[in-house]
Amino acid sequence: MAEQSPAIRVRDLTRDYHRPRRSLLRASPPVHALRGVSFDVAPGERFGIVGESGCGKSTLLRLVSGLDRATSGSIEIEGREITHLSTRRLGFLRERLQLIFQDPMSSLDPRMRVADIIAEPMVGLRHPISPGRVEELLQAVGLSPEAATRFPHQFSGGQRQRISIARALSVKPQILVADEPVSALDVSVRAQVLNLIADLVDELALTLVFVSHDLSVVRHVCDRVAVMNEGQIVEMGPVDEVYENPQHPYTRELIAAVPTLDKALAGSGAADLAAPTGADQP
Amino acid sequence: MTTHAAPPLAQDVLTVTGLGVSVGDRSLVDNLDLTIRPGERVGLIGESGSGKSLTALALMGLLPEGLAATGSVRVADVHHDIVGADENQLSRVRGNDIAMVFQEPMTALNPTMRVGAQVAEAMLIHGTRPTRRAAMSAAVDLLEQVGLPDPPGTARSYPHQLSGGQRQRVVVALALANDPALLICDEPTTALDVTVQALVLDLIVRGVIDRGAAMLFITHDLAVVATVCERVLVMYGGRIVEAGPVQQVFTRPRHRYTQGLLAASDLSVVDDRGRLATVPGTVPAAGQFPAGCVFRNRCGHATDVCASTPAWTGQDASDGFACHHPAPASEVGHG
Repeated sequence: MAEQSPAIRVRDLTRDYHRPRRSLLRASPPVHALRGVSFDVAPGERFGIVGESGCGKSTLLRLVSGLDRATSGSIEIEGREITHLSTRRLGFLRERLQLIFQDPMSSLDPRMRVADIIAEPMVGLRHPISPGRVEELLQAVGLSPEAATRFPHQFSGGQRQRISIARALSVKPQILVADEPVSALDVSVRAQVLNLIADLVDELALTLVFVSHDLSVVRHVCDRVAVMNEGQIVEMGPVDEVYENPQHPYTRELIAAVPTLDKALAGSGAADLAAPTGADQP
Repeated sequence: MTTHAAPPLAQDVLTVTGLGVSVGDRSLVDNLDLTIRPGERVGLIGESGSGKSLTALALMGLLPEGLAATGSVRVADVHHDIVGADENQLSRVRGNDIAMVFQEPMTALNPTMRVGAQVAEAMLIHGTRPTRRAAMSAAVDLLEQVGLPDPPGTARSYPHQLSGGQRQRVVVALALANDPALLICDEPTTALDVTVQALVLDLIVRGVIDRGAAMLFITHDLAVVATVCERVLVMYGGRIVEAGPVQQVFTRPRHRYTQGLLAASDLSVVDDRGRLATVPGTVPAAGQFPAGCVFRNRCGHATDVCASTPAWTGQDASDGFACHHPAPASEVGHG
């Protein structure tokens, strides 16, 4: 394990966005979406990233999956630097790393049949498509073979997320990146999809990068977690350690603000959730 | 049209009897009974498609065209039924006796109007402040009460200049402007970050307690309901399947759906294979729920009896369940 290069290695990554000019005399100050982020994800590891909207977690995902360009810093996927590669030379990345998005409605083309949606990455990467492959993928995510000829709108949110997962797995990637995959799902369906992701990651020995605003979901799914705030990783460590004994004030605030059934049934009210946050409210 | 429902007792803020919502001959909400006393905070939980938002809209007389409400909705100090009332009558009730906080703070506010003027407008329309000047100064006070920084400055800003959390505070200020007897919140914090959610929940609860108002809080998040409410109603397939005090329903659920929902939302408990408890299947589309018990096609305990609609077991509509095969009363824990 030790000499194996990490699945993902990120060093001093920054990304600045430029805002439109508002004055004739000087340019608007840039937005520093990422300010020096570094981390490693070992092969087979389940790595979680938590943070609130605007913390830079989506920017980080876009960079790691080659959908955007870093301002500075480096990203290595399985030992290969991707920050300076042109889109045409990122083919290997698409073979190795695939994504699942948050909104299962807008991430599936409504005019394509499920079979075509699932086969599309294989077509794009010129993989040979055997007739049984789509059926095999549908079965792996718990959908019936009849689903292949139907359209996305004929499925519920949880089923659509299963289709997304099947599409991501079609080219047999080593790394699966999931951006809030269960945030849009109902509670009774959320557990099914989390179980499915966990099963597939185990079965196919995948490396998982799991992004969520929900610390309790990350705690269940991941081995290690990075907490992001204002474009930086403020705390990183094994999930149980971070959850039980948070070191950074922001992590503590985040954990205290999450309502849980156990806390509520023990008599904690809305005022208790807000208490640590109240001091520096926006 | 005369209604046969008795006028509400003095102590009840909201009395709903036999409320139904349907489109054509498809029933979306079925025979809902609900009473809320002053100062009571009641949660209505359910997954998407369970009919909880439609219930809220029906209580406000805001159902979209094509949907029809039946039954009776009586509000304290309003001398007519909300169901079947005309737009004139309803506009005097909305924002005055009943106010609502919606899920999406961007669409709930008028993008072309400064937020101070929007809060003031609510008071001017209902005549609770005599002049525009008095209403504006009351609006600034309200914006201060909901914890917005620089209230006079915020009053002059447009909604797009505020963050999501700030906008939701404005919506709360707007809803509380006329000291309503009943505040209906439909997923008010679902679109917000957790730290902002904590602040807004605290604000809503304090605002309601300070005014002695009653609250109906609609959400799919069990933990939020347990934090904010005293009593809870569990809705599935357009029906109330279980109701009772939060402590009782969340620690000793009787209906199999409530039990499944609690088990599936608990991410800290896994079986020996490391898997979470799940509710099999998915929520059917509106109007596609099975006849009889609405949960029977996803229930592990369902038998032939469940093809008939289970009767309500319990002392009244606020405490009981509707299940042919309830979990034993002694069964402790999340299922």
